[in-house]
Amino acid sequence: MNGRNVWIVARKELRGINYEKTIVFAILLQLFVAMFSSFLMVGLTSMYDPSSVSQYARFRYSIAYAGNDSSLLDRLQDSDDFTVFEMDLSPALESLKERKLAAVIFVPATDPGGTDPVQVTLYTVQNDLQATVVGVKLKDVFLGFENDLRDARAQRITEQPVAVDFPPAARTEGFYEFVFGLLIPLLVFMPAIISASLIIDLITEEYQHETLETLVSTPITFAEMVWGKILACEILVPAQAGAWLVLLALNGIRIANPVPVLVLVTVASLILILLSALTALHYRERTAAQFIYSTALVVVILLVVAIPGNPLNLIVRASVGNAGMETWGAILLVSAVAALLGYVTHLYARRVGRLAQGGI
Amino acid sequence: MGIFSDIFTIARWEVKKSFSAMGRNVLPLAIILFILLILATGFVARSGMHLQDGMYTLATDDRDLGDIFSADGRFTVYFADPATILSERGAFDLVIVNRTVLAPLTDRGRSAAKTLSRDYSQYVASVYNREPDLFAAYPLWIDLQYVQSELDFQATQGGQYISVRQRSAAPPVPSQPVVQVTPPSTAIPYTADELRKNLQQDVGKNDQLARYTNLFTQLPSYENFKTPSQLSPSLPFDSIIFVFVFIFPLYFTSQFFMMSVMNERIGRKGEILLSSPMHPLVIIAGKMLPYLAGMLVTSTVVILTAKASLLILLPLVPVILFFLASALLIGMLSRSFKELSFISIFFSTVATSYLFFPSIFANVHVVSLVSPLTLIILQLQGTGFSASDYLYSTSLFYLTSGVLLYIGVVNFNAERLFDLRPFIPRLREFVGSAMSRAHPYRSLFIANLLLIPFIFMLQMMALVVLFNLPMPLSLVLLIVAAAFVEELAKSVGVYSLFAAEFPTLPIRTLVLACAATAIGFLVGEKLFLVAMLSQITESVFGSILFLQQDLLLLWMPLLLHFTGVLIVTLSIRFGGRRWYFPGVIAATVVHSLYNLHFILGAMR
Repeated sequence: MNGRNVWIVARKELRGINYEKTIVFAILLQLFVAMFSSFLMVGLTSMYDPSSVSQYARFRYSIAYAGNDSSLLDRLQDSDDFTVFEMDLSPALESLKERKLAAVIFVPATDPGGTDPVQVTLYTVQNDLQATVVGVKLKDVFLGFENDLRDARAQRITEQPVAVDFPPAARTEGFYEFVFGLLIPLLVFMPAIISASLIIDLITEEYQHETLETLVSTPITFAEMVWGKILACEILVPAQAGAWLVLLALNGIRIANPVPVLVLVTVASLILILLSALTALHYRERTAAQFIYSTALVVVILLVVAIPGNPLNLIVRASVGNAGMETWGAILLVSAVAALLGYVTHLYARRVGRLAQGGI
Repeated sequence: MGIFSDIFTIARWEVKKSFSAMGRNVLPLAIILFILLILATGFVARSGMHLQDGMYTLATDDRDLGDIFSADGRFTVYFADPATILSERGAFDLVIVNRTVLAPLTDRGRSAAKTLSRDYSQYVASVYNREPDLFAAYPLWIDLQYVQSELDFQATQGGQYISVRQRSAAPPVPSQPVVQVTPPSTAIPYTADELRKNLQQDVGKNDQLARYTNLFTQLPSYENFKTPSQLSPSLPFDSIIFVFVFIFPLYFTSQFFMMSVMNERIGRKGEILLSSPMHPLVIIAGKMLPYLAGMLVTSTVVILTAKASLLILLPLVPVILFFLASALLIGMLSRSFKELSFISIFFSTVATSYLFFPSIFANVHVVSLVSPLTLIILQLQGTGFSASDYLYSTSLFYLTSGVLLYIGVVNFNAERLFDLRPFIPRLREFVGSAMSRAHPYRSLFIANLLLIPFIFMLQMMALVVLFNLPMPLSLVLLIVAAAFVEELAKSVGVYSLFAAEFPTLPIRTLVLACAATAIGFLVGEKLFLVAMLSQITESVFGSILFLQQDLLLLWMPLLLHFTGVLIVTLSIRFGGRRWYFPGVIAATVVHSLYNLHFILGAMR
């Protein structure tokens, strides 16, 4: 096998990718996924836990308290989030409809220490973001009230959980776990998945556009051509993943060990690329190859994620700085698998090449 | 009847062709992969996801606590005596000594503490819900009641935030007459056993393992009757995953269709088909039919295996049509396999996220109804949806797929199909030939009217993306992005229609074309907004009010749209094609300034 020939093919493919501007779509896609998943995260936390957005934190909501006295009333009056008015239920509900109140709470005359549960009714405005905000803020007060009631009924509880003291929760929660636990492995592995799909197109195109005969008649062997294409796809992976790490660093998200992360991604992506190259060589037709590749990809990802200490998990641990020498051990193991697959691909490509020269 | 038999003939060919190409080789492996997929899912369900294992380190002196928290793979737990732990505190993300949690004041420390406190409440819940006396362990139940309020229509229409902030210390006095209500009864609507089952299921839900396996079980969930810890709105997580089960087969099948269209173009294979006397619409319908049927059958099978209601098919139909129509165009437009892959991956990501993101808020806000998937989630949850909900969330998809199909049919000819020029000029030609040269103004009017749903989709996406940025910046960027999208969209029609003859175009024609564009755009925009807003507020009075108010002010936006498109066309007319983009930018600037002026005015 001639290295120069491989490089010629790789350069030709990279030029083609550059000419068609397809890579622009790929990068746009990744950017979109990144922004989108961060949107989801920010959106989810602010919708489902609105107090995490500081904008909502400073409001003091007016609420009405109706019904019987309880320790809930004291707790509400002590809270910084609410102004409480003791009102009758009917005018309170009318005020709620007119949006002069954010919520109305009705407490029945149930005995706090009795056998019946205390059933509090909480009225809010339907389909309103504010109802969510108030509900989440009220949750803390209700939890306190629940503890009061539990204390009153303590002798009937057979097993108490181990008590643990937590530091007071921070006002705003960062997105540390999302960024390091999901976004980074996702971004870093996206180029690998894209490259693996690209190699199928590059190989099947030669078959379906019937350009193979021309290629085989040049001094470049079939195996060299396949390796050139694999090289072109492989180069794109660390380039894009590295760009992501730089972009994240510019945004103030620093990865603890960028080198093992990049090496691991590069080697693991080689496995994906080789697998899909084999699929493409076998089917020689895009629809079939892409279908098998995408289904197999789902299976592989599911299996990989289910194994403790998988490459994706190692990327997470390496990027937070909780990984030691086992990362390099995993890199060695993954490289061995990649080498084995590479050998199989080489044999298969040589066989296909011989058959092609034999006049097929 | 002839048309239908033609369609069926082509559909039969299509099935035969794709099966002979794929069937023999692919089917065995596909079956093996499918079995592997089921096995892999089972494996994941048993062993759990190990993506975030070992993210945090935790040191404790308490064996019991250590055992509780080491069940969460995210924590690597170390045991030591208190003195050692406290002297080595910096080496761990979290420390629990004497049953007190100590966390460093870093992002990571806070995040670890938050995760730990979630695990802890899970543990507490699992202890309490085993209690024999349930109402001693869970003495407080909250009955959620919702009140309709229609007063806030105008504020929501303006996109403003309404807050209830009262300065006075006196209780509010309602201005309307007070209707006497009887206090709610204290009788509990459920038995203790039902409630316990629900609580236990709720604990299981947050467990990664059960999250995936509980997909098909439908235990009753008590939407409005909760303990305090259940009070935050429930994330319809199971349903969301379930929705992916519906979308994946659609995505795959549309890939096959895309490829089948592309295959007709390779080596001019489709020439035989085109030379037949059949109308392109018949050919396309025939080619599409097997895939449409396949998608419907797959979805029905999924619904039946899940024992869900077949009503779910209704919101899926427009989604299927949209996928197929886009697949047709992508297959007709791409030059090479690479391009096909990238454009289709890009398209499906964008489309999936458009479908997906609003549905997450299914239990929080009505706006989530923009996506038909929300209807599926509502149906799965047992809430159901009304006919007007259906109209609201699917009309965009019906409209856009209709437009896309039309463009596909008009361009389904040899000249367009076997052309190998770059993507953008081809796209322009595709749009251009969808309009009538004989009636330029009428087609410009209609084209811009029909562009509105696409613009709305794009602007929603911009909102999604810019949402992340800090407040004043995100608002300004959103205005600019929205203006850019609108100006670009308006110019597409004029530019595609007159592409070749721009330098010689009479000014009078140009002005009239711009007027037709602006009117079409405005009418579409207003029709659309009225339809959307009257849905959101569910108030007839509201939409009438809105319409009247706007009719008085209608000339202002009309002038704005006209000016915008005129700037673009004039710059192409006198500057040539190179001035297209600068023209759009200039129009965007004007448009943004106008919007900024009005929004700032409204704020003041």
